[in-house]
Amino acid sequence: MTDDRIVKRDRMRYTKNTLSSTLALLGIVFDVLYFVSIYQSDVGTYYYNILIGASVLYNLIFMLMAFLSSEGVKNYKPGYSWLLMALGLGQIVRIFILPLSAFRAEYVIKKVSYPVMEAGQFTWVVVCLCISAACCFASAVINLIKSRQLAEHIASLGDKA
Amino acid sequence: MAELSLQHIDKIYDNNVQAVFDFNMDVKDGELIVLVGPSGCGKSTTLRMVAGLEDISRGSLLLDGVDITRMPAKDRDMAMVFQNYALYGHMTVYENMAFSMTLRKENPNVIHKKVLAAAEILGLTSQLNKKPAQLSGGQRQRVAMGRSIVRNPKVFLFDEPLSNLDAKLRGATRREILLLHKRLQATMLYVTHDQTEALTLADRIVCMSMGHVQQIGTPLELYDTPANLFVAGFIGLPPMNFFDVLFEDGMLKGKGFTVQLTEEEKHRLSSYNMKEITLGIRPEDICEGNDIAVKVFSNENLGMNTLVHGHMGNGLRVTAKLRGWAEYRPGDEVRVSFGRKHFFDKVTTNAIRGEE
Repeated sequence: MTDDRIVKRDRMRYTKNTLSSTLALLGIVFDVLYFVSIYQSDVGTYYYNILIGASVLYNLIFMLMAFLSSEGVKNYKPGYSWLLMALGLGQIVRIFILPLSAFRAEYVIKKVSYPVMEAGQFTWVVVCLCISAACCFASAVINLIKSRQLAEHIASLGDKA
Repeated sequence: MAELSLQHIDKIYDNNVQAVFDFNMDVKDGELIVLVGPSGCGKSTTLRMVAGLEDISRGSLLLDGVDITRMPAKDRDMAMVFQNYALYGHMTVYENMAFSMTLRKENPNVIHKKVLAAAEILGLTSQLNKKPAQLSGGQRQRVAMGRSIVRNPKVFLFDEPLSNLDAKLRGATRREILLLHKRLQATMLYVTHDQTEALTLADRIVCMSMGHVQQIGTPLELYDTPANLFVAGFIGLPPMNFFDVLFEDGMLKGKGFTVQLTEEEKHRLSSYNMKEITLGIRPEDICEGNDIAVKVFSNENLGMNTLVHGHMGNGLRVTAKLRGWAEYRPGDEVRVSFGRKHFFDKVTTNAIRGEE
């Protein structure tokens, strides 16, 4: 291994994994964008059911978990990578629950039917969720790689000592 | 290589208060200069002018022959260590030390090597991941020094760096600074009001009072041959005893006491016959003897020495630093003799060297 690569790995002992941490926070930002966008298509009382309650609750849990993970990956803790992957997967799964059903649904008001979610809005919320999921996955993968490199480097220092 | 030259430097504030008068000094490469004096004497102002944190009202400042009088602080290639450390509380030791280089967008690998090298010098390697709040005062000050070292500046400036530390830690950190100077061989300017720091650290001391330079010299020169009453009184702990005396018939006659002089001393005072002068005696130059009676009013045991405070004839106060453990009680009479004597002109307050 070249000297520069060794120094780069050694730097990780004293610097934070800001890339992973920032990506996790970016995941939250796009989740919030999704969250504030979806209800713009409020037609009649379509959203007034238990699903929306669960969605709000999941959003809170997602933001809390993603924030905790961003702090965890900042310190190269590999366990948080798995949590981030689960959160990323959750964002993908969400596309097929509330947004897709809203996109397919129509709501009838005074015998006239209206689409609950237009195609443009559907595309936007899907993009938000996909980017959020991608950020979570990228953060997790980068952290896994870096934490493994750091662990190997620390082990090699221990061997030398 | 860093030679600093301060030429006729004045500092006049906007309200016309002059803090520094005609400061002249040449600092050689690798020299550790200590500016010492009481509060308000202009030593910190001088340091801040060198750093570029204060404008120089008159005069010029040269670094390696280049005039940097009007140069902004950031371009002067000097690093300053402050009394209050000035560390970023939310950053780790490593980040604090790397911060200035990160701002200058230096290569992170180079920064890393420099920070580790500085941490090694200062014994901070195991503390690099801690935040300043988790460190002791001495460690924080070392971090502040480390932040300066990594920059590899031409000149280090220290503004009372040990004032926030307790006595024991101050001593230890002082020794570290001395070792650091020996190791780096860097030009350093160090401001303190503590004469112990000045005497132990300095290659040369600049003693200041009321904005004026009183004397520039080695620690021994300032202690042994003070230029005037101020320096004589400021350097030395406890301070020198001063007595108004008349030089008459080869003797010094004070109020209620007489001091015999050696031939060399008489020669030095030859032009002061029948004139009043100030006699200065360091407490450590007073020993138990047979010449002068002192009535003790206080006795302080310091371990290997005892400070005896008393009155001579006509109530003149005198402090003697006697060797060993003595237990005088108030009212006891002890006879003492004066050793090395210092003479000062009563009008000019300058030391009488006998060259006149």
